[in-house]
Amino acid sequence: MKQDTRWVRLSSIIVALFIVLPLLWMLITSFKSPSQVGITPPPWLPHPFTWVNYRMSFTYFGFQRYFLNSVIVAVSSTLAVLLLGTGAGYALARTPVRGRMALMVGLLVISVFPEIAVISPLYLLMRLLGWLDTYQGLIVPYTAFNLPFSIWILRNYFLSIPREMEEVAQIDGASPFRTVVSVILPQSTPGLFTAAVFTFTATWTEFLMALTIDSSTPFRTIPVGIALFGAEFTVPYGNIFAASVISIVPIALMVLIFRNAIVSGLTQGAVKG
Amino acid sequence: MTINHLTDRPKFSMQRRRAVTGLWFMAPGLLVVLAVTIFPILYSIYMGFNTISLTTHGFHFHWNGLGNYRLLLSSSLFRYAIVFTLVYALVTVLVELVLGMMTALVLQRMAWGRPALLALLLLPWSLITVISAEMWGYIYNGVYGALDAILLEFGIIHKPIVWLGFAKLAIASTMFADVWKTMPFVAILLLAGLEMVPVDVIEAAHMDGASNWHVFWRIILPLIRPTMSLAILFRVLQAFGLFDLPFVLTGGGPGTATESIAVLGYQVMFQDLNFGPGAAVASSTTVVVLIIALAFLWVFRGMAEEGVA
Repeated sequence: MKQDTRWVRLSSIIVALFIVLPLLWMLITSFKSPSQVGITPPPWLPHPFTWVNYRMSFTYFGFQRYFLNSVIVAVSSTLAVLLLGTGAGYALARTPVRGRMALMVGLLVISVFPEIAVISPLYLLMRLLGWLDTYQGLIVPYTAFNLPFSIWILRNYFLSIPREMEEVAQIDGASPFRTVVSVILPQSTPGLFTAAVFTFTATWTEFLMALTIDSSTPFRTIPVGIALFGAEFTVPYGNIFAASVISIVPIALMVLIFRNAIVSGLTQGAVKG
Repeated sequence: MTINHLTDRPKFSMQRRRAVTGLWFMAPGLLVVLAVTIFPILYSIYMGFNTISLTTHGFHFHWNGLGNYRLLLSSSLFRYAIVFTLVYALVTVLVELVLGMMTALVLQRMAWGRPALLALLLLPWSLITVISAEMWGYIYNGVYGALDAILLEFGIIHKPIVWLGFAKLAIASTMFADVWKTMPFVAILLLAGLEMVPVDVIEAAHMDGASNWHVFWRIILPLIRPTMSLAILFRVLQAFGLFDLPFVLTGGGPGTATESIAVLGYQVMFQDLNFGPGAAVASSTTVVVLIIALAFLWVFRGMAEEGVA
């Protein structure tokens, strides 16, 4: 099927430009001085080139706090999802579970449920627990909402591992827990990476829950922080884009490194789902 | 009989022990899902039947039967939000599907630079929607926006357009920003489907003199229908929960032109603090989502069973 015709090359360039140009514009704007950001017509390159937006997003807007909050929430949720997802995924792959089919379909449906459908009771629940403006107030719902998809991914991955080694471990008298830790997990790193990348991305980008549950300044995550950067009448685009560029870096690196895991995860989710 | 009994017994208890182990392994995860997703979904439906007042002592519920729903159905704001969200979901998913398929076909035929383009396609997918909304807001700006500047430069328009200032333009602009962010995801999904179509089938068809067009419609498309329907299901449901993009890009405006169900629900609940009607708005998304999901599952139940087996 590889037939790199002129037509294919042209189309691929158009697709690449369609994706890159808006992002590039954001990057360029982040290096412009505040006075240049609002000029008509906009200058195509920053002149003079300045880091002032980056400096201001830290010193004036306290972006480092939002960044830290996002890291704490996303990393904790991802670890929790991996822990709980491994257990549930293993059980669904290897042990007799009554109503497995119904359970799997139920999990699939939950994983696509719009957040708005749960946000009000969740808010009341967090209020009742005193978890508004806390990290656990986000970590727990993030874990719950990302578990179903990860359970799917991990279960499908566990199914692809040959049973023999597990059986050997069991005959040697290893407990089920021991079997999972020393036999299953070492062979499942691609599946674990896929689940981790999807969970991390979902929690890093989530907005509605973060806005509702953790909107006070000390607990704002990046999306909430950036959405509320705006002053009353002017939108500080330079600062917004500087902060945006910083928050894109970790996830872009992760996406590049785990590109194959993501693509195979999407494929697996689609084909097996 | 006795021999059978003796040999069967350990096997039976072993099976049973594995089932108990499975239960213990699943319990923590399923409990969290139950407590934080299923319980709130159901509780939201219950809230929708109540008048909820907020006092200094907290929330007070008064049973109101179908009162909130009657209020919603008589509200033109709600009816508009439902229609807008449905139309928005259908249009964006259709456009994404067509563009995504074209992109996937291009990717499949690329001999050079394919990993690079795949990596690029993952960028919008992993981008925080709030950031993409701010980015498009700046591009669409009617005074210093880049889009107007480019169109003016090339003489396509003669005076700046305020893209987010008019209902229909704002809807189209929001849809475009959405397509930018989610089309790549659809393209990668479809590419995965395309890669699974056996090459010899296509070659055989070409040998029999079938045109490219014919091969695509008659052979490729039917073969990747399962992948496509799942991509559609995921995207329709996701689009139906539309919140981040209009909330940041247009604030639901101009007027209420881009007010999705989720934006309306949020405003009613957290800005007007009307939790009863707000929960009713939210629950109506539950109903629609369940209908869509069940319809898909019913249509593709054979496929789902295959996948789970």
